Amino acid sequence: MTVNAVEMENVTLHFPKQRNALKMLINRLLRKKDRFTALRNVSLTVKKGEVLGIIGKNGSGKSTLLRIISGIYPADEGNCKVAGSISLLAGLGTGFSGHQTGRENAILYGSILGHKEEVMISKLPEIIDFSELGAFIDEPVRTYSSGMKARLGLAVASAIHPDILLIDEVLGVGDPQFKEKSKKRILDLVKSTGTVVLVSHSFGLMKEICDRLVFIHKGKIVDVGEPDAIIKLYYETTG
Amino acid sequence: MFDKLNCKAVYMSEDTSAPVLKNVGERGDSWKSPWTNFTVLFQHRFLVRNLVRKEIRGRYRNAMLGYTWAVLEPAMLASVYYFLFIMLAGNADKMYPVWVILGIIVWSCFGKALQGTVSSLSRNGQTIHLVYFPRIIFPMAAVQGNIIISMMSCFVVLPIMVVFDLPVTIYLLYVPLSILMAGFLAIGLGMLVAPLNCAHRDIEHLFRFIVRAGFFLSPVMWTYEMALERGAFGEMVLYNPMVVPLTMIRHGIAGESIGIPWAGILWSLGFGIVMWVLGSYVFNRHEAGAVKHL
Repeated sequence: MTVNAVEMENVTLHFPKQRNALKMLINRLLRKKDRFTALRNVSLTVKKGEVLGIIGKNGSGKSTLLRIISGIYPADEGNCKVAGSISLLAGLGTGFSGHQTGRENAILYGSILGHKEEVMISKLPEIIDFSELGAFIDEPVRTYSSGMKARLGLAVASAIHPDILLIDEVLGVGDPQFKEKSKKRILDLVKSTGTVVLVSHSFGLMKEICDRLVFIHKGKIVDVGEPDAIIKLYYETTG
Repeated sequence: MFDKLNCKAVYMSEDTSAPVLKNVGERGDSWKSPWTNFTVLFQHRFLVRNLVRKEIRGRYRNAMLGYTWAVLEPAMLASVYYFLFIMLAGNADKMYPVWVILGIIVWSCFGKALQGTVSSLSRNGQTIHLVYFPRIIFPMAAVQGNIIISMMSCFVVLPIMVVFDLPVTIYLLYVPLSILMAGFLAIGLGMLVAPLNCAHRDIEHLFRFIVRAGFFLSPVMWTYEMALERGAFGEMVLYNPMVVPLTMIRHGIAGESIGIPWAGILWSLGFGIVMWVLGSYVFNRHEAGAVKHL
């Protein structure tokens, strides 16, 4: 029997538009709803133990979909259910506090991602080792290059093992050597986690590791199915 | 028969250990939040501690004197106001600069905690987009950070007590108490408008003005006793809830009881509690929609 890890039903999400006071007043008077619909009636199930890939053009709603699953945005309509703990790997290296050291940031970032104190303390040597920062780990993060920040971010984020892993375009950070290493780390994590939802533009990799692909266009799911067929559909639709 | 039963038992135990489907980001009833906020704070204490550390470190980054500024800032401000006041009013009370310095410490605790709470969601957009955890943690961490900084500022009372030869009494407890109260008065008010500030940053500008105007309207440069000398004005001034903590810290240093009628103290405490309940409710109710603006 297959069990579902994620169940999304008719999820719709609107983003409000930023307007000045006059325009807002006019919209209010005309009872016009001024908003951008990022997702429209999206229904999706992810089976337990499945690696699901999401493809689509920039701005088609891929990241928003992951944010709904991780609970960052509540759906305006419909609902989303998940079974177990979730971790979202996105924007590695953002959200660091520049004036604190790499070590302090690793602990801060770990606690933000929901790690327990004991876990962080026990995993810290491994995290520092993986990030290859050496003596820089005790320097303020503002002195880091963007690659170094991403490395530290990946090291911390990949140290947990959730039930459901969401990955948003974080494959391949840093220089070629580290790129290989980070790819391997994420693939290991994918293997050990089981249920994974992956957003990426590297179709070669997705063909390799995904069981199914979802093609999303302008906030709607166009089709779900075998990777080869979906990638073909993507090129046909977007040209 | 026995075998069958055994089988069922194993199956059932497996079933319960497997994670069940739950709605994501489910929030409790908003009206319960004034109480549940405390349990959230306790459950996430490791995160809260790290966020508070980030707030404090951020304040005095790259400063040679570091945390010394927590004491220097109010002391320097007080000396400026001292000269200003002497020039304008010719007040010769030798304790006056002390009252001003204490007033500034308590008021800046309130002001910075208030501004920190108001902008707590809008400042942390990056973290909010990364992961979901109860967002009430952001304003709580902001206020805690400011309370700790203000407590550090309070060390300025030690040299003051030596110089003015003030007695060490039980009333010294008023000093940390007044800081806590200032922070408490700030958080409720701040939570009330923090979600709105995500959509309209006007709130942030408005509250910067409120903190500046409140500086003069509250007994920071003047004292409650000075207001009492003006007759009816002294009673009117008690409608400002900040009068209680501001007066409390001064009386604490002087080694006297607070000297404000009970009704005034209750009004101030009641204001804080009502704001906390209202603020928690509004924050929990609207935080989810508000972060879409970030």
